[in-house]
Amino acid sequence: MTDRALKGLRILELGPYVALPLTGRILASLGAEVIKVETNKVLDEMAFIPAWSRGAGQPEFQRNKKRISLDVRTPDGLTVFRKLLSISDVFMTNFRRNILDRWGIDFPEVRSIRPDIVVMWQTGLGGIGPYYTYKSYGILVQHMGGVSLMSGEEGEPPATINTSYSDYHTGVFQPSAIIGALMRRAYTGNSAIMESSIFKSGAVTAGPALLDYQVSQKTPSRIGNKDFCMAPHGVYPCKGEDRWCAIAVQNETQWHSFIKILGSPGWGNEAEFSNLDVRIQNQERLDKLISEWTKTQDAEELMEMMQREAIPSSIVSKGQDLHGSRHLNDRGFYQPSKYFTAERGKPAYDWIEGQGMASVVPVHMSGTPMVYGDYHNIGEDNEYVYGEVLGLSQDEIHRMTDNGAFY
Amino acid sequence: MPATPPGDSNLLPPYRVLDLTGPEGVFCGKFLADYGADVVKIEPPGGEAGRFKPPFVGEQESGEGSGYFLFYNTNKKSVTLNINHDSGQQIFKQMILNADVVLESFPVGYMASLGLDYDSLKDLNPNLIMVSLTPFGQTGSWKDYKATDLTLMAASGFMQITGEPDGPPVRQGNEQSHFPGAQYAATSILAALYHRDILGGQGQYIDISLQEALITYYTDAHPALAWQFLGENVTRVGTNSTLVIPLGAYPSEDGWIALGIITPREWEALSNWIYEVTGDSEVLSEVYKGGNQDRAPYIDIITAMVVDFTCRFSSDYLFHEGQKRNLVFIPVNNVEDLLEDPQLAASNFWYSVDHPQTGSIKYPLGVFDSDEVTPQTNPAPELGAHNLNIYMDEMKFTQEELKTLKDNGVI
Repeated sequence: MTDRALKGLRILELGPYVALPLTGRILASLGAEVIKVETNKVLDEMAFIPAWSRGAGQPEFQRNKKRISLDVRTPDGLTVFRKLLSISDVFMTNFRRNILDRWGIDFPEVRSIRPDIVVMWQTGLGGIGPYYTYKSYGILVQHMGGVSLMSGEEGEPPATINTSYSDYHTGVFQPSAIIGALMRRAYTGNSAIMESSIFKSGAVTAGPALLDYQVSQKTPSRIGNKDFCMAPHGVYPCKGEDRWCAIAVQNETQWHSFIKILGSPGWGNEAEFSNLDVRIQNQERLDKLISEWTKTQDAEELMEMMQREAIPSSIVSKGQDLHGSRHLNDRGFYQPSKYFTAERGKPAYDWIEGQGMASVVPVHMSGTPMVYGDYHNIGEDNEYVYGEVLGLSQDEIHRMTDNGAFY
Repeated sequence: MPATPPGDSNLLPPYRVLDLTGPEGVFCGKFLADYGADVVKIEPPGGEAGRFKPPFVGEQESGEGSGYFLFYNTNKKSVTLNINHDSGQQIFKQMILNADVVLESFPVGYMASLGLDYDSLKDLNPNLIMVSLTPFGQTGSWKDYKATDLTLMAASGFMQITGEPDGPPVRQGNEQSHFPGAQYAATSILAALYHRDILGGQGQYIDISLQEALITYYTDAHPALAWQFLGENVTRVGTNSTLVIPLGAYPSEDGWIALGIITPREWEALSNWIYEVTGDSEVLSEVYKGGNQDRAPYIDIITAMVVDFTCRFSSDYLFHEGQKRNLVFIPVNNVEDLLEDPQLAASNFWYSVDHPQTGSIKYPLGVFDSDEVTPQTNPAPELGAHNLNIYMDEMKFTQEELKTLKDNGVI
């Protein structure tokens, strides 16, 4: 059997949305047994996104986990959850502490059940401080971290991505902190309770600008697609609808190759483009001249022409390009996947199965390959977890299924 | 297992990490160093490129005054070493003998051309974990393609969905392209170390593609799936989502305010509040009720009603009053707001660093907060600050040998 990096670790995951499930998926891909606790009574809103095929994106967050349906708000549900805590190495959740406390699984309680458990408590705005009780969503908290106002052009609305990237920051920060804490536990016997926040994970990436402001009182310039040390530098329109190619000319050698690719037009020799400083000064006109030519070009061919001269360039990839990318497919970036089409008002076991594809966790390890694994529906691992892992009797399982604890 | 366990509040033992990376990997090295690893930057004798990147908070030419460098290199050591030089390669190989991790971000094949690829180095130290961070990874038809922050944002598709619907694709600021790969690299290194030291495994090689890592940073937008199911390309929608209505950044009386309605109950609360303020009963209409997808056909009218409402109040008022009504309004901050934010101030986010270039200023500490563990807080190193420590104390070079190496441009 292939070796797995985190073999033998058990992680208990409680919570919806993006960041927390992503953390669980990464740890599961590394070989940990991740038990995800959900209930059909309150389903994760993410299962209903995106509209084109509800649930189709969920494998990217939930793949390779053991998924059980368990309502921790019921007496039996709580008892079983506490049993799970007692055999887990890590407990991670994004519920607020007043809610965990109401359910009887706040951290002091968790630690009394399993003293050496590592806890990752993911918050939106933070666990202490004036906003600690505040409700938040990662997709909005990204605006709090400062990056929105470093994007786009001066005077225009914040140019934000049509997704919640700071959720991903948090989701990918958390595994390293969790593995670090497990390492520390293995060496010292000491455990750790850690709190992360989506707010902080965004704000920390503003580091250089935060230092700069304290020294010079300057806020970062919003320069759109421009650069302080490169010109031409931008996205240029190509043949076809909404088709673009990004090009970054890094030095004079590349500038000369670039002009040659464009067919050595007369303006290429003009004094106002003869060095970096003047090209940056006269960028608007330069970009216009370049665009007139690129509009007649196929974006992919343009990219190839630039790359042959070692000029950094790329098509602006659309879904179609990403889906069909030979490069990504050759690297095994996508794999087929089952999924379930979520339907409001119906429990997950009544959802219809479909077939799509999902991206892998983008880490290629030679000694302990990442597990792609199966995608299970909510509750599909009830029998394994309640029977095999916890050793509950069939009678107990039936009783708790009937009384709603396992719904 | 390494002989030394983690220090009191550190996550990691002082693992020796040799860090050859530029901007692609600088954040990865920072993570490991902040967590307690002994990260040694191996810099060319003139200093690595990051030392000369803006913003400058001190002397620009000396390579010691870059705010970029100072932030991303906290808790690391610095030695100078020219690995293009034969003697430099010999010294590097000697350093490999007691290294735990090597980080590199050179073009594919460059380390092999120096005889310093993983296959060569693992013969010297089978426990070595080596990580390459490159724009497109070590395999595949794009592996040798050149990239910058801009072109990676394009290649990953990030730009395709950033910007106004009628404008060109826009890059997200702050060199976003370098974070995802670095974060995945840090995670995989720790997993590999865990496997090696706690489970009794061996060293290994890890290939990280910045493009792949970036694509997984907007998985919920699912551009590839949208194409597969509908034959449609997800595109730019400005500051507002097309999936969840309403969601995005809206103008307020004094700037911008972010708002998102995820659950049916939140829509109830918001529509009642809007009605209270505007008196327009249209917002209470039955057709707008329901889950976050259900309002998609009415995006224009919903947005207009929301903007008419948000424009009447300050961002701060909406943020706090929203919470009282179980609604999520979030301020759109700039760096000045962050430095003054009471929440960050109260949650151990800052620590002070006294550096000759800047005097004492605040640095962000990290992402997690804990009573038991905390990141390290040492300033970034000056170029070659640890040459004596590494070359003389550890590797036992004599003064004379060091001088020769220096004269020959090796260190």
